[in-house]
Amino acid sequence: MVYISSWDEFAERSIQLFRADPQSVSCVLTSRYVMKYRHCDGKLVLKVTDNRECLKFKTDQAQDARKMEKLNNIFFTLMARGPDVDISEVSGKEQSEAQPTKKGRGRKQ
Amino acid sequence: MVGSLAQPTHLPPYFKLRKVSSKSAREREREPSLFAFAMPDPFLNELTSMYERTTERGSVWVTLKRSSMKSKAKRNKMTSAGETIEYRCLVRATDGKKTISTVLSAKDHLRFQASYATILKAHMSALKKRERRDKKKAGDGQTKQEDLKKPPKKSSS
Repeated sequence: MVYISSWDEFAERSIQLFRADPQSVSCVLTSRYVMKYRHCDGKLVLKVTDNRECLKFKTDQAQDARKMEKLNNIFFTLMARGPDVDISEVSGKEQSEAQPTKKGRGRKQ
Repeated sequence: MVGSLAQPTHLPPYFKLRKVSSKSAREREREPSLFAFAMPDPFLNELTSMYERTTERGSVWVTLKRSSMKSKAKRNKMTSAGETIEYRCLVRATDGKKTISTVLSAKDHLRFQASYATILKAHMSALKKRERRDKKKAGDGQTKQEDLKKPPKKSSS
Protein backbone atom coordinates (compact mmCIF):
# COMPACT_ATOMS: atom_id res chain seq x y z
CA MET A 1 0.00 0.00 0.00
CA VAL A 2 1.56 3.19 -1.09
CA TYR A 3 0.29 6.33 0.54
CA ILE A 4 1.15 9.30 -1.58
CA SER A 5 1.50 12.59 0.19
CA SER A 6 1.16 14.93 -2.76
CA TRP A 7 -2.24 15.27 -4.35
CA ASP A 8 -0.87 16.15 -7.76
CA GLU A 9 1.35 13.12 -7.82
CA PHE A 10 -1.51 10.88 -6.78
CA ALA A 11 -3.80 12.32 -9.43
CA GLU A 12 -1.26 12.02 -12.21
CA ARG A 13 -0.16 8.52 -11.36
CA SER A 14 -3.67 7.23 -10.92
CA ILE A 15 -4.74 8.58 -14.29
CA GLN A 16 -1.69 6.94 -15.86
CA LEU A 17 -2.61 3.69 -14.17
CA PHE A 18 -6.07 3.81 -15.58
CA ARG A 19 -4.94 4.62 -19.05
CA ALA A 20 -2.39 1.84 -19.08
CA ASP A 21 -4.98 -0.81 -18.35
CA PRO A 22 -4.05 -3.91 -20.36
CA GLN A 23 -7.27 -4.26 -22.22
CA SER A 24 -5.80 -6.17 -25.11
CA VAL A 25 -4.56 -9.05 -23.03
CA SER A 26 -7.69 -10.47 -21.56
CA CYS A 27 -10.30 -7.84 -22.39
CA VAL A 28 -10.81 -7.49 -18.68
CA LEU A 29 -10.22 -4.11 -17.16
CA THR A 30 -8.79 -4.56 -13.75
CA SER A 31 -8.23 -1.08 -12.46
CA ARG A 32 -10.66 0.47 -10.06
CA TYR A 33 -10.99 3.62 -8.05
CA VAL A 34 -12.20 3.27 -4.50
CA MET A 35 -13.23 6.01 -2.16
CA LYS A 36 -13.77 5.49 1.54
CA TYR A 37 -15.29 8.12 3.72
CA ARG A 38 -15.70 8.03 7.47
CA HIS A 39 -17.78 10.84 8.80
CA CYS A 40 -17.14 9.93 12.43
CA ASP A 41 -13.38 10.27 11.96
CA GLY A 42 -13.56 12.95 9.31
CA LYS A 43 -11.27 10.96 7.03
CA LEU A 44 -11.25 10.37 3.33
CA VAL A 45 -9.14 7.69 1.68
CA LEU A 46 -8.78 7.25 -2.07
CA LYS A 47 -7.33 4.16 -3.68
CA VAL A 48 -6.54 3.41 -7.30
CA THR A 49 -5.28 -0.03 -8.14
CA ASP A 50 -4.94 -2.44 -11.02
CA ASN A 51 -4.36 -5.34 -8.64
CA ARG A 52 -0.66 -5.03 -9.19
CA GLU A 53 0.15 -1.52 -8.25
CA CYS A 54 -1.76 0.36 -5.61
CA LEU A 55 -1.85 4.08 -5.04
CA LYS A 56 -3.53 5.57 -2.02
CA PHE A 57 -4.22 9.01 -0.71
CA LYS A 58 -5.48 9.85 2.74
CA THR A 59 -6.78 13.16 3.94
CA ASP A 60 -8.92 14.98 6.41
CA GLN A 61 -8.99 18.30 4.57
CA ALA A 62 -12.03 19.74 2.89
CA GLN A 63 -9.92 21.25 0.10
CA ASP A 64 -8.82 17.75 -0.92
CA ALA A 65 -12.44 16.75 -1.23
CA ARG A 66 -12.89 19.51 -3.76
CA LYS A 67 -9.84 18.33 -5.69
CA MET A 68 -11.21 14.81 -5.53
CA GLU A 69 -14.40 15.92 -7.21
CA LYS A 70 -12.39 17.14 -10.19
CA LEU A 71 -10.53 13.85 -10.26
CA ASN A 72 -13.86 12.03 -10.15
CA ASN A 73 -14.92 13.86 -13.28
CA ILE A 74 -11.76 12.79 -15.02
CA PHE A 75 -12.28 9.18 -14.03
CA PHE A 76 -15.88 9.19 -15.14
CA THR A 77 -14.84 10.54 -18.51
CA LEU A 78 -12.05 8.01 -18.84
CA MET A 79 -14.37 5.18 -18.00
CA ALA A 80 -17.20 6.18 -20.20
CA ARG A 81 -15.21 7.11 -23.24
CA GLY A 82 -12.29 4.76 -22.98
CA PRO A 83 -8.67 5.14 -21.93
CA ASP A 84 -7.72 6.75 -25.22
CA VAL A 85 -9.43 10.04 -24.56
CA ASP A 86 -6.96 12.79 -25.28
CA ILE A 87 -6.28 15.48 -22.73
CA SER A 88 -9.24 14.32 -20.78
CA GLU A 89 -8.43 16.67 -17.99
CA VAL A 90 -9.22 19.77 -19.96
CA SER A 91 -11.14 18.93 -23.05
CA GLY A 92 -12.99 16.10 -21.42
CA LYS A 93 -14.61 18.45 -18.99
CA GLU A 94 -15.25 21.04 -21.65
CA GLN A 95 -16.82 18.47 -23.91
CA SER A 96 -18.98 17.19 -21.15
CA GLU A 97 -20.12 20.72 -20.42
CA ALA A 98 -20.74 21.42 -24.09
CA GLN A 99 -22.82 18.33 -24.70
CA PRO A 100 -25.66 18.96 -22.25
CA THR A 101 -26.25 22.40 -23.74
CA LYS A 102 -26.80 20.84 -27.14
CA LYS A 103 -29.20 18.31 -25.82
CA GLY A 104 -30.66 20.72 -23.33
CA ARG A 105 -34.08 22.22 -23.20
CA GLY A 106 -32.90 25.64 -24.14
CA ARG A 107 -30.14 28.09 -23.81
CA LYS A 108 -28.87 28.73 -20.35
CA GLN A 109 -29.50 32.39 -19.74
CA MET B 1 -15.72 -11.26 13.34
CA VAL B 2 -15.10 -12.44 16.89
CA GLY B 3 -16.46 -9.27 18.35
CA SER B 4 -17.08 -8.89 22.01
CA LEU B 5 -17.92 -12.47 22.85
CA ALA B 6 -15.94 -14.04 25.66
CA GLN B 7 -13.97 -16.91 24.22
CA PRO B 8 -14.46 -20.33 25.83
CA THR B 9 -11.40 -21.27 27.82
CA HIS B 10 -12.02 -24.99 27.86
CA LEU B 11 -11.90 -25.31 24.09
CA PRO B 12 -8.74 -25.24 21.97
CA PRO B 13 -7.93 -21.74 20.81
CA TYR B 14 -8.98 -22.36 17.20
CA PHE B 15 -12.60 -22.73 18.19
CA LYS B 16 -13.82 -19.20 18.17
CA LEU B 17 -17.31 -18.15 18.96
CA ARG B 18 -19.11 -16.10 16.39
CA LYS B 19 -22.18 -14.05 16.83
CA VAL B 20 -25.08 -16.00 15.41
CA SER B 21 -27.01 -13.00 14.23
CA SER B 22 -24.39 -11.33 12.04
CA LYS B 23 -23.85 -12.86 8.66
CA SER B 24 -20.48 -14.17 7.67
CA ALA B 25 -18.80 -12.72 4.61
CA ARG B 26 -19.55 -15.85 2.62
CA GLU B 27 -23.24 -15.66 3.33
CA ARG B 28 -23.30 -12.06 2.32
CA GLU B 29 -21.59 -12.91 -0.94
CA ARG B 30 -24.10 -15.64 -1.78
CA GLU B 31 -27.00 -13.33 -1.15
CA PRO B 32 -27.78 -11.18 -4.14
CA SER B 33 -27.27 -7.53 -3.25
CA LEU B 34 -30.58 -5.88 -2.67
CA PHE B 35 -30.18 -3.39 -5.45
CA ALA B 36 -28.58 -5.59 -8.05
CA PHE B 37 -27.68 -3.07 -10.77
CA ALA B 38 -30.25 -0.47 -9.98
CA MET B 39 -30.85 2.49 -12.23
CA PRO B 40 -28.66 5.46 -11.43
CA ASP B 41 -31.36 7.53 -9.71
CA PRO B 42 -32.50 5.00 -7.11
CA PHE B 43 -28.84 4.20 -6.58
CA LEU B 44 -28.14 7.83 -5.80
CA ASN B 45 -31.06 7.99 -3.39
CA GLU B 46 -29.83 4.95 -1.60
CA LEU B 47 -26.31 6.32 -1.53
CA THR B 48 -27.60 9.48 0.09
CA SER B 49 -29.32 7.55 2.82
CA MET B 50 -26.16 5.51 3.31
CA TYR B 51 -24.19 8.67 3.99
CA GLU B 52 -26.88 9.88 6.34
CA ARG B 53 -26.89 6.62 8.26
CA THR B 54 -23.15 6.53 8.79
CA THR B 55 -22.65 9.92 10.37
CA GLU B 56 -22.16 8.58 13.88
CA ARG B 57 -20.11 5.56 12.98
CA GLY B 58 -19.17 3.46 10.01
CA SER B 59 -17.74 4.12 6.58
CA VAL B 60 -19.02 4.44 3.06
CA TRP B 61 -17.01 2.90 0.26
CA VAL B 62 -17.68 3.89 -3.32
CA THR B 63 -15.95 1.97 -6.09
CA LEU B 64 -15.72 3.00 -9.70
CA LYS B 65 -14.71 0.53 -12.32
CA ARG B 66 -14.95 0.22 -16.04
CA SER B 67 -16.57 -2.93 -17.31
CA SER B 68 -18.22 -4.24 -20.40
CA MET B 69 -20.72 -6.14 -18.26
CA LYS B 70 -20.39 -9.16 -20.50
CA SER B 71 -18.99 -12.54 -19.72
CA LYS B 72 -15.61 -13.47 -21.09
CA ALA B 73 -17.09 -15.94 -23.57
CA LYS B 74 -19.41 -13.36 -25.00
CA ARG B 75 -16.66 -10.80 -25.18
CA ASN B 76 -14.43 -13.16 -27.14
CA LYS B 77 -17.28 -13.92 -29.49
CA MET B 78 -17.87 -10.25 -30.06
CA THR B 79 -14.27 -9.43 -30.80
CA SER B 80 -13.94 -12.31 -33.20
CA ALA B 81 -17.13 -11.23 -34.94
CA GLY B 82 -15.72 -7.73 -35.27
CA GLU B 83 -18.30 -6.07 -33.07
CA THR B 84 -17.13 -3.26 -30.85
CA ILE B 85 -17.67 -3.93 -27.17
CA GLU B 86 -19.35 -1.10 -25.42
CA TYR B 87 -17.80 -0.32 -22.08
CA ARG B 88 -19.68 1.02 -19.18
CA CYS B 89 -18.93 2.34 -15.77
CA LEU B 90 -19.83 0.18 -12.81
CA VAL B 91 -20.39 2.04 -9.58
CA ARG B 92 -20.69 0.21 -6.30
CA ALA B 93 -21.34 1.58 -2.86
CA THR B 94 -21.34 -0.16 0.47
CA ASP B 95 -21.51 0.66 4.13
CA GLY B 96 -19.91 -2.61 5.11
CA LYS B 97 -23.22 -4.39 5.42
CA LYS B 98 -25.27 -3.53 2.42
CA THR B 99 -24.01 -3.15 -1.13
CA ILE B 100 -25.71 -1.28 -3.91
CA SER B 101 -24.58 -0.86 -7.45
CA THR B 102 -25.44 0.71 -10.73
CA VAL B 103 -24.16 0.70 -14.27
CA LEU B 104 -23.61 3.84 -16.28
CA SER B 105 -23.35 4.10 -20.00
CA ALA B 106 -21.52 6.97 -21.67
CA LYS B 107 -24.59 9.20 -21.78
CA ASP B 108 -25.65 8.39 -18.22
CA HIS B 109 -22.36 9.37 -16.74
CA LEU B 110 -22.74 13.09 -17.33
CA ARG B 111 -25.89 13.38 -15.32
CA PHE B 112 -24.67 10.95 -12.70
CA GLN B 113 -21.42 12.85 -12.31
CA ALA B 114 -23.27 16.03 -11.42
CA SER B 115 -25.64 14.40 -8.96
CA TYR B 116 -22.87 12.36 -7.43
CA ALA B 117 -20.73 15.45 -6.91
CA THR B 118 -23.65 17.19 -5.21
CA ILE B 119 -24.17 14.30 -2.83
CA LEU B 120 -20.51 14.14 -1.92
CA LYS B 121 -20.30 17.89 -1.33
CA ALA B 122 -23.36 17.77 0.88
CA HIS B 123 -22.22 14.89 3.03
CA MET B 124 -18.50 15.25 3.38
CA SER B 125 -18.87 17.91 5.99
CA ALA B 126 -16.67 16.32 8.63
CA LEU B 127 -13.47 17.17 6.79
CA LYS B 128 -11.46 20.00 8.23
CA LYS B 129 -11.61 23.41 6.70
CA ARG B 130 -8.37 25.29 6.31
CA GLU B 131 -8.89 27.73 9.15
CA ARG B 132 -5.78 27.37 11.21
CA ARG B 133 -2.63 28.51 9.50
CA ASP B 134 -0.62 26.31 11.77
CA LYS B 135 2.35 24.84 9.94
CA LYS B 136 2.54 22.05 12.48
CA LYS B 137 -0.71 20.70 11.12
CA ALA B 138 -0.35 17.30 9.47
CA GLY B 139 -0.99 17.17 5.73
CA ASP B 140 1.53 18.37 3.19
CA GLY B 141 -1.16 19.58 0.83
CA GLN B 142 -2.29 22.14 3.31
CA THR B 143 1.13 23.66 3.96
CA LYS B 144 1.82 23.80 0.23
CA GLN B 145 -1.39 25.72 -0.32
CA GLU B 146 -0.55 28.11 2.46
CA ASP B 147 2.91 28.75 1.11
CA LEU B 148 1.45 29.71 -2.22
CA LYS B 149 -0.99 32.17 -0.75
CA LYS B 150 1.13 33.62 2.01
CA PRO B 151 4.10 35.74 1.03
CA PRO B 152 6.99 33.27 1.28
CA LYS B 153 9.15 33.79 4.33
CA LYS B 154 12.13 32.25 2.60
CA SER B 155 13.25 34.59 -0.18
CA SER B 156 12.48 32.83 -3.41
CA SER B 157 14.30 35.30 -5.62
